Amino acid sequence: MKARHCIPFFLVMAVVVIWPLRAFCEGEVLVGLIPEENIFNQMERHRPLEAYLSKKLGSSVRFTILSRYGDVMDRFMSRKMDGAFFGVFTGVLAVDRIDAEPIARAVNPDGSATVQSYIFVRNDSGIRGVKDMKGKRITFVDRATVTGYLYALSYLRENGVTDPDAFFKDISFTGSHGSTIYAVLDGRADIGTVKSKIFQKLVAKDPTIKEELTIIARSRELPDTTLLLRRDLPQSLRSRIKAVLLGMEKDPEGIEVLRQFEAQKFIEAKKEDFVAFYEIARNAGISVKTYKYK
Amino acid sequence: MPIRLGDTAFFVATILLVLLVLPVSCLAAENTIGVIMTGDIPYYNDLHKAFMTKLGQHGIASKTEVIVQKPYPDHISLSNAARKFIAMEVDVIVAYGAPAAVAVVREKSKIPMVYAAVYDPFMSELKTRYSTGVYVKLSVSSLLRYLKSLKQIKTLGVVYNSNEEDSVYQFSELTKLAAQYGMKVEGINLKRHQDVQAKLAGSQMDAGFLTGSSVAHMAMGQIIEYAKGRKIPYASFSLGTDARALITLAARPDNQGDKVADKVQKILDGISPDKIRSEAATEIELVFNMKDATSLGMKIPMELVTEATRLIK
Repeated sequence: MKARHCIPFFLVMAVVVIWPLRAFCEGEVLVGLIPEENIFNQMERHRPLEAYLSKKLGSSVRFTILSRYGDVMDRFMSRKMDGAFFGVFTGVLAVDRIDAEPIARAVNPDGSATVQSYIFVRNDSGIRGVKDMKGKRITFVDRATVTGYLYALSYLRENGVTDPDAFFKDISFTGSHGSTIYAVLDGRADIGTVKSKIFQKLVAKDPTIKEELTIIARSRELPDTTLLLRRDLPQSLRSRIKAVLLGMEKDPEGIEVLRQFEAQKFIEAKKEDFVAFYEIARNAGISVKTYKYK
Repeated sequence: MPIRLGDTAFFVATILLVLLVLPVSCLAAENTIGVIMTGDIPYYNDLHKAFMTKLGQHGIASKTEVIVQKPYPDHISLSNAARKFIAMEVDVIVAYGAPAAVAVVREKSKIPMVYAAVYDPFMSELKTRYSTGVYVKLSVSSLLRYLKSLKQIKTLGVVYNSNEEDSVYQFSELTKLAAQYGMKVEGINLKRHQDVQAKLAGSQMDAGFLTGSSVAHMAMGQIIEYAKGRKIPYASFSLGTDARALITLAARPDNQGDKVADKVQKILDGISPDKIRSEAATEIELVFNMKDATSLGMKIPMELVTEATRLIK
């Protein structure tokens, strides 16, 4: 075979071998964050982890907030992200649509690695169950969240509410769990649904909040925010990222970063973690394939 | 045929009588609505403007006489205003603010009343066969929470009026909450807005809280001036049109005005008030006055700015 005949072969091989390494070669791993809480607080909490991963991997890791839950997958694709910390629904979408690999999720300071969805009201609202909710104002986080929407939808259907638009006086979406809590606290909405972790966090910061709000329904345990990476990221890089995260609890520097991240440690995440989602989706009457979440 | 003088006189007299009586009988309003505001403040004026606009849309305004009274927010003035309308036998009394609504109820009249901007805890006092309306649920704790995010507060000055029951209730709520946050509360009982400077003199407050008191809001310009002079943050339960607090949590007046007009129309159509559901104001505004905050050298945390329904820049 003459050398010039080999050129196309080498070009193809170069593309096949080098293309998946582009992100790493470009010197940056881009990781998205779903806007689960106030974005300023969220970035502040993730910055030490960003720096730690960059240092341990010897390459820049950059976290970026994905503007809206509903846009998470589009943004993930259009911005050619390498991975993202996904919630339950967006995690399922990532696995289902691009076969993303679950890598790790954080264990909370209280030892839990799962979250629940809470449906809550103000104590003085007089609302204690679904029948009291008729004609009231409900606020959700986003259509693309389980803890901030789909669980409530499933709970309402189980209690006979099949047409929320007709049942409630007003339905709104705040875009973040924190804002949903404040909306109910302020009286801007009567009922809210949020992720338990964000609820507990606000209560820890200001215990008077707990005295003002009543949780009237709780979902089953669901996996907390999980890091998923694209499959076309080199296997070696995916493994290293996982190893760095899982090893943090044994590294004094990692322990400090975990403290700032408000986590005990990272544990390995698996596809099976998302099984609980499917029951809620079934009860809510939605299918991942056809559900219009935007 | 000759016309006799007697016939002519009779004819002219008849015409004159018709001309005199006709305009009155033709133009007299079909209905009379008496409106009582708890004090002359922009918030109630905005509410009333929305009410009148909606009455016009319902086609009621043109055939209805609307008489407005803006008594000073004290028991005697409010009670006199209510009695005046009862004596006039108006078709409906509309009351803006809990003190005005409570004054009407205390007269035990059977004239239907539609209230608005009534602070939720006073609803029990207004539950009669003859009343319905729009109440407001506002969270004292939320507003305090936002206020304390601007500055660490040691002494919270609370402006209220012991003649306005809703503001007294809010003052008492604030006192309990402040204790939980380790703050001292300095109550400023402002019964006349002209007394504001004397009442604020010597105050130790490092943050101010204006309850829903109309008197407090009649003195709002001076309270803001005072707060600016001392560079302290201040929050309010009432939306003003010109003088605004750094943080305001209030029910939109226009939304309430619309609802009141709908209820008044039902009453004029013959539906009894006890068949018309009282309802909560649904549009609550959280307004941050970034312009004044910046001029005072205060920064509203970005995490709170994102919660605002409106920003004044």
